[in-house]
Amino acid sequence: MAADFEQVSVKRLVKTYGTTRALRGVSHSFCAGEITHLEGENGSGKSTLLRLMALLGRPTSGEIYFGDEPASEPQRFRAQIGYSGHEPMVYPDLSARENLDLFARFYGYRDKDERLKRLARLEELLGHGAYLGRPARTYSRGQLQRLSLGRALLHSPRLLLLDEPTNGLDREGLERLGRILDQERARGAIILLVTHDERFASAVCDRRIRIHHGKILDADAAPGP
Amino acid sequence: MMTLLRASLLVAEKDLRIEFRTKELLSAAGLFAALVVFIASLAFYLDPTEARRIAPGVVYVAAAFSGVLAFGRSFAREREFEAMRGLRLTPIPRAAIYLGKCIATFAMLSLINLGALLLVALFFHLDLERPLLHVAAFLLLTTAGFTAAGCLFGALTVVTRARDLILSVVLFPLLTPAILIGVVGSREALDGATGSELGVWYLLLSAFFALAIGGGLTLFELLIED
Repeated sequence: MAADFEQVSVKRLVKTYGTTRALRGVSHSFCAGEITHLEGENGSGKSTLLRLMALLGRPTSGEIYFGDEPASEPQRFRAQIGYSGHEPMVYPDLSARENLDLFARFYGYRDKDERLKRLARLEELLGHGAYLGRPARTYSRGQLQRLSLGRALLHSPRLLLLDEPTNGLDREGLERLGRILDQERARGAIILLVTHDERFASAVCDRRIRIHHGKILDADAAPGP
Repeated sequence: MMTLLRASLLVAEKDLRIEFRTKELLSAAGLFAALVVFIASLAFYLDPTEARRIAPGVVYVAAAFSGVLAFGRSFAREREFEAMRGLRLTPIPRAAIYLGKCIATFAMLSLINLGALLLVALFFHLDLERPLLHVAAFLLLTTAGFTAAGCLFGALTVVTRARDLILSVVLFPLLTPAILIGVVGSREALDGATGSELGVWYLLLSAFFALAIGGGLTLFELLIED
């Protein structure tokens, strides 16, 4: 059975790649209805933390808890996680509509009407452009970014992990993304955002965490200007 | 949570839909198989008796080479845009990704390999009327085992840099027993062996398939992890 949770915690999370230690004992809790901005210089471990929380890899040591349950059975939590990373993670030979319909089926939506409803819900983010019917390999960076975000939001996940979601988005796209993140927060999603766009982060985030050399340097209740 | 079979069929449907749209794999691997058969027919055809001895080897060499091309292409699709990662984020069982890729690749390779068999029959003047059932069954059973092993090592090409090297250098030695069994079984079928005489080859090929698919289902998740 798929799990539900109000909080996601990481405890003493360590991740090493060969001799490189990407995370050096990160511990923190993230709550429902909050958007947390993860900031830090390139290579500080932000993306690694997001990938581990997306259950795309196993930590070298430490644990991830969804509510009170450890993520020892990742399969139980995957339906509740939405992740958008540096690549769009979609099929380039399928259009945006086909990709989203396909992923909706992978997330268990068997009813076509339900899938269409979910796609319609994403229209604010995706726009109504003719591009939606073209193969994804013909898209611009911004269009791919929207599609990637659409894939992450498609199944209304409880935990939303967004790694540089503002990359490639124009002003209109940023405004749309901001509105959608507000809606997701109101819905009770736990949202982690990695971005170097300070203005966007200040406008949408409730909390800020600074990561430096794989460790949390400081965490505050609200982001500064 | 989605059942293994439903999820596998969904992954296979996705692969087949992309293939019927792009026709990349069928055209590249199919053409390659046809070329191997054509060149071998020019190089090795001596007389009808010799041709019957050589023909099964030609079919299986064409199947092996085009198969490696097909596995590489099939998993290149998962590498582009990191699509495989998107798939791994979904709640479908990891084994379903492997099984789905196996089903779709088997369907495509079966088409190519049966086409290669017909070409070999044409170029090597084989009389397939009586042994066709056995020869085709050996070919499909070998293709199944070949696919089960190929899709496991194809997954490695998504996560490693030495992609084509891994496929050809690691896969061919592993597939050698299946290819040998397929060739010997087909040769005996062409020589007029009966079903019961061929039983041992069917058994060995089935065992190879069971071993390959079992290994694939067990190891696939480990291989695709970040």
